[in-house]
Amino acid sequence: MKSRTRREFVYLTGAMALAALGPRLAASESKARVVVVGGGIGGATAAKYLAVSAPTIEVTLVEPKPNYTTCFFSNLYLAGLCSLDSLTHGYETLAQRYGINVIHDSVAAVDPVAKTVGLKSGPKLTYDRVVVAPGIAFNYDALAGYDEAATQVIPHAWNAGLQTQLLRRQLESMEDGGVFVLVAPPNPFRCPPAPYERASLVAYYFKQHKPRSRILILDAKDSFNAQDLFLDAWERHYRGMIEWLPAQFTGGIKAIDVKERSVKTASETFKAAVANVIPPQRAGQFAQQNGLVDQSGWCPIDPITFESKLQPGIHVVGDASSAGDMPKSAFVANSQAKACAFAIAAALTGSERQSPHLFNTCYTHLGPDDAVSNAVSFKPVAGTIKIVDNFVSQVQESAETRHRTAREAQSWYAAFMRDTFGYAAF
Amino acid sequence: MRKIIAVSIAAGSFIILADRSQAADRDGGAQLAAMCASCHRLDGGDGGIPTILGMSPEMLARAMLAYRSRERPSHIMRAIALSLSDEEIVIVARYLAALNKQVRP
Repeated sequence: MKSRTRREFVYLTGAMALAALGPRLAASESKARVVVVGGGIGGATAAKYLAVSAPTIEVTLVEPKPNYTTCFFSNLYLAGLCSLDSLTHGYETLAQRYGINVIHDSVAAVDPVAKTVGLKSGPKLTYDRVVVAPGIAFNYDALAGYDEAATQVIPHAWNAGLQTQLLRRQLESMEDGGVFVLVAPPNPFRCPPAPYERASLVAYYFKQHKPRSRILILDAKDSFNAQDLFLDAWERHYRGMIEWLPAQFTGGIKAIDVKERSVKTASETFKAAVANVIPPQRAGQFAQQNGLVDQSGWCPIDPITFESKLQPGIHVVGDASSAGDMPKSAFVANSQAKACAFAIAAALTGSERQSPHLFNTCYTHLGPDDAVSNAVSFKPVAGTIKIVDNFVSQVQESAETRHRTAREAQSWYAAFMRDTFGYAAF
Repeated sequence: MRKIIAVSIAAGSFIILADRSQAADRDGGAQLAAMCASCHRLDGGDGGIPTILGMSPEMLARAMLAYRSRERPSHIMRAIALSLSDEEIVIVARYLAALNKQVRP
């Protein structure tokens, strides 16, 4: 495994790196060990970039599931525009090409004193650093009548896979003329534009197959991400099909009645043919159980290294982290994971670390050929992370621009998956 | 006129950078190129997002400066280009141009 990793590294950096690499390898007597917990976007990216940035680090990735289905782009699956298989990715390349030790198991606990990660099946992995990427958990306590069991009747479909399939099947078997009720969560939550993209793409599906059907969004908020872009698109593509009711209109979401398939607000109860409840969110269970979470429900981190402010030696990346202005998106998880991996590599090997460049990019589909994007750069400022520049698509853009953005989105997905799960040379 | 000045800044940086160590350039280049890899396939593949392999360092640096000045439109590339110093643009352009020679067929 050692020689493979080294070969890969030499291959990556070219012959000019050889002279500099030799002494560093010779100087290290034993490999430093980093354990990455969680194989979503943040975890997979961190594992890969730890492996490529320092061949003297032994990287272990622990993830219970054999593959990962992306929640981003799953709204295209709901619209019938792609398969769930095309959104599902395995860990073979990370193991084979990058020499990462991939273990499919759950983690019982991290012991920050003994510096061990205990696996459910028994063994303990020792580490010099651990990267934790537990994603989101649902705060069922915050929504009366909705819990884990309820998700089998009224899916949240906010972790892609079986939940997304269930929602798609319900939409397929719904009669034309029914109401699809979507409950949108309070801030902060994974992927701010995604509930509204979902409404757009379900409307597209209805328009093709069930044109008398309607969509009702019951929002826990009074406004939402890229609202002007969505309202414009709903008027152009789906006039009269989508109704959005903010909290100030309904008085807020009060309870879910699973048996009746209805949503109770302060003012009125709405009955659904198909309901999709996206519950309030917090950092993944693993973070809750290992002392990484503060009162906000998320994990406070150092804005340069992503090391936990509560547990030294443990780094938190992705949706679970509380990273100032950075939203909870796949692109952010990937961006944070790289900054974190380079910081850890620098700490463990003494190599030079550049100041981190942190970005977000979101592609959002309003229809199959109508997509918008935004791009944001961030920088660490005074213990947190602040927006530097923010560029967003405009309402008045031409159809050609939107079509081009939709094509770009497809290309981005392919490149991003290669970057994260390592299919490509780099 | 602004374009000419900007490009000559980049050309000047190439000369100044001759003093940096190769190891520092390699580490810096790899870390900056990782940022590009979130959207651009670095295996020579292409799609709706063009490849950035096969270009000279000068072409890459010039393209980045054109995005920064809005001469080429793309708000994503503009955000990236604005966040990079002239020196970083030169380092990543050099790294990407060198990476191209290493890509498997």
